[in-house]
Amino acid sequence: MPTTRPNSKPPRQKLGGGWVALILTLACGMCLGGCAERTQPTQFFELSPESSANRAMQTRLFETGAENELLSASAASLQDLGFQIEESVREVGLLRAAKERSAREYGQYRNRFLIWLVSLGHLVIPVDLHQKIAATIVIRPASQDHARQEVRIIFYRVIWKGDGQADRNYIPPGEQKMEMIRDPEIYQQFFAKLSKAVFLEPHSI
Amino acid sequence: MNRRQVIGAVGIVTAALVLHGCVAPEPRQELFAPTDAQMKIRSAQSRTFEVNDSTVVMRGVIAALQDLGFIIERANAPLGLVTAARFAEPNYYDVLGVTVTVRPQEAGKTMIRANAIYNSKPIEDPKVYQNFFAAVERSLFLVKD
Repeated sequence: MPTTRPNSKPPRQKLGGGWVALILTLACGMCLGGCAERTQPTQFFELSPESSANRAMQTRLFETGAENELLSASAASLQDLGFQIEESVREVGLLRAAKERSAREYGQYRNRFLIWLVSLGHLVIPVDLHQKIAATIVIRPASQDHARQEVRIIFYRVIWKGDGQADRNYIPPGEQKMEMIRDPEIYQQFFAKLSKAVFLEPHSI
Repeated sequence: MNRRQVIGAVGIVTAALVLHGCVAPEPRQELFAPTDAQMKIRSAQSRTFEVNDSTVVMRGVIAALQDLGFIIERANAPLGLVTAARFAEPNYYDVLGVTVTVRPQEAGKTMIRANAIYNSKPIEDPKVYQNFFAAVERSLFLVKD
């Protein structure tokens, strides 16, 4: 018994294959464009030029000696923003919290439909489905007499993609993508909440 | 030679070949002894600071890691343990992890040891650890002020 079926329409198949190959090549080219600037391991522990700007965005100083109150107020502010506290270490003033939300966006669905249309139904790109937004807070004394505290919060998110299709190859769901959140407004919002909670005016560094 | 003898001969040769690997190797004494390479990497990963409060050093390490863009995943103050990770931006597939231990030494000194892994492979380049300790030094200096 033959394991493959004789092909009845070879020329048409070939044309379709060519189209798909072209689109795949273009898509790969776009994806790989970001891979060119790959960081070398030796650079990982070097301070990047933008690190001081990030530090300023993520840090506020509070004129208080009550570190524990500041820590519990931070936890409460995160709870107000819908986060769940995952880890806390009082001795070093550490809090880690996360919340999970949908990551579906209208624009991505529109792009998926357009690519599907252009590729004649051969290519269905995966869209973002689910995301986990996480925050890490570290509070530490900023002066010798512990009269001033420095609060630093870092937000980041992990996104999970849905499934897709490239010609006859099924792209399974669950591909992960991570990104640091660098939107100053989110940090301002958090610090506004925190300063209301502790009745103190936050100072920028 | 009849058939039985042939089968017997083949069986003996096969058994000899198979059993050849079963000779117990001599247990080597130096199996767990530190090699030169291990010593070298350990000294690159460790540094002693003249600060007597290990909590201060630990906070300094955490601040340095945050400056370097790491996400602090776990910390244990009594054990002086910090675990952090970051992904190699802009490439979000590669993950860089680091475990730091802070241990008080005699005469008011504190030792820091860092182990970094890149995509679950240990980093053995001393330059990487030099950069890390430079960042810690900077951050400890800031804490002191």
